[in-house]
Amino acid sequence: MRAIPAVILLLASWAVAAAEPPPGLIQLDGRPAPALKLADLDGRTTDLAALRGRWVMVHFWASWCGPCRREMPTLETLAREIPAERLGMVLVNTAETDDEVFAFLTIVAPSLSTLMDRDGRVTERWQPRGLPSSFLVDPDGRLRYLALGGRQWDSLAYLDFLEFLTARDSRPRPAGGQ
Amino acid sequence: MPRGLSPIAFLILCASFALPAADGAAPARERAGYEGQGITLSVSVRTPEQVVAFYSARGFPENAVRALAEKCLVTVGMRHRRRDVVWLEPARWRFVDAGGREVRRLDRAYWAQRWEALAVPAASRATFGWTQLPESRDLLPGEPVGGNVVIEPPAGRFRLELRFATGADKRGPALRAVIEGLSCAGGGAGGAGDGGEFPP
Repeated sequence: MRAIPAVILLLASWAVAAAEPPPGLIQLDGRPAPALKLADLDGRTTDLAALRGRWVMVHFWASWCGPCRREMPTLETLAREIPAERLGMVLVNTAETDDEVFAFLTIVAPSLSTLMDRDGRVTERWQPRGLPSSFLVDPDGRLRYLALGGRQWDSLAYLDFLEFLTARDSRPRPAGGQ
Repeated sequence: MPRGLSPIAFLILCASFALPAADGAAPARERAGYEGQGITLSVSVRTPEQVVAFYSARGFPENAVRALAEKCLVTVGMRHRRRDVVWLEPARWRFVDAGGREVRRLDRAYWAQRWEALAVPAASRATFGWTQLPESRDLLPGEPVGGNVVIEPPAGRFRLELRFATGADKRGPALRAVIEGLSCAGGGAGGAGDGGEFPP
């Protein structure tokens, strides 16, 4: 019987640990995410506002950027591990051409699709700290986390955190003052 | 940091890992670096050929590529493992030639004017902007950064004197590092290019 409280304690500490963002992921203040409405290579438009109700990762990238190239396969794994109904994945290519993006994605992460910010203006509006940059937008459309540079999204630390974050009962409290 | 040394004294460290110049037609390879006080720096000078290849492949107009190739692009990568904020501010750095003269850095404002004059398309301007180091960035613990700084090519070798403020309010100990023995193409022995990523 003594083991039961210990197990509960262990589970509780795991839950707390899982709620903490892993190193390299910083908490943002919950301001509303900037507008984002762009088309992909096939002309299909995605509007971030239409994805309310689930967590969304908004990822800015370019094929010439070394960390972007290393990170992309881990994003593909992440997209497989956490269903899109819980974590929407919105990739935004910054100011490259269809040919450059097609040649890159079909080889490096063929199951991923990206929106095209052809003149780079949407990226500027989001003010990422560099490329690559990944924002986590909560189900209410607010900016909650920012990844610093390229991250290994398929590592246990990130997968555990995102599993926890996107679980149905883990919606954030309403933002204060925003 | 070793005990008994003041932070400033300890931080004034120089690193010069330039490889000997290559002979003949082979491009010289050079990468300088610094590691200490929780920051790691790598510095590479790009050849005009690398500059032309990179920006041409990204659809930059010929006049814009030419404008860049006439200058000297220095690629700086930095990783930060300190517990406090480190301020990346290239305006606080000095590029100094062998005669002790300061080399002019061509900042984003310069290039914005230049691109305007050359009617460079928005997409190329955006890409160029993302390949440059930011003018000011409060690097958080664990945050990597990389990009180019453009300078007027000095005639011979030059050094880069880096200064970083620390702490969210910039009141922490200043970090300093000096990287010696750099040179742009045509600027004497050494040269540029290490075959690494461009930009990092």
